[in-house]
Amino acid sequence: MAMMMKRTAPRSTLRKIIKKHKPQLRLAANVDLLIHLNFLLFLHRLAEEARTNAFENRSKIIKPEHAIVAAKVVLKKSRG
Amino acid sequence: QRKMSEPELASSLIKKVFSHYVKMPVARDAFRIVKKCSERYFRQLSNDLEAYTQHAGRKTVEVADLEVLMRRQGLVTDKMPLHVLIERHLPLEYRKLLIPVAVSGNKIIP
Repeated sequence: MAMMMKRTAPRSTLRKIIKKHKPQLRLAANVDLLIHLNFLLFLHRLAEEARTNAFENRSKIIKPEHAIVAAKVVLKKSRG
Repeated sequence: QRKMSEPELASSLIKKVFSHYVKMPVARDAFRIVKKCSERYFRQLSNDLEAYTQHAGRKTVEVADLEVLMRRQGLVTDKMPLHVLIERHLPLEYRKLLIPVAVSGNKIIP
């Protein structure tokens, strides 16, 4: 099992964020949970990518530049 | 009238999840980038979901739209079905809401 950390989805915040961007858009029941899942997987990808960048630069910590490069790659992959 | 703050995810949540996945130390400024990136992600996601539902002639985002989206993102594949991702990443109480479970008495939930 990948996840043992106790985590609840910020369901109403997720709905509010989507509402902020697209006020007309309605979410069917439990779609917010899948959005949460998608967000977790997005952060997962971002983390993996940032870690790879840090390794390549022989850095022991994730620095902003590693995160920036990772962000570009991962946001592109996240396009629907 | 009280001014509502912009809805956004708690930094602590983003930090917690990202650190959990990255498994190495993260500079403070790098977390700021992750937060910015998350905001961009939600903007992009909203646009995509709107496009999908409009294309289907609906006004409501359905579970199927998310599945198609995740397939396009390369997260859901033939070898990695959506319910496996749900089982791996979401806590039990949410899993139960998303995956129909056969229970005794021949009832299906939900």
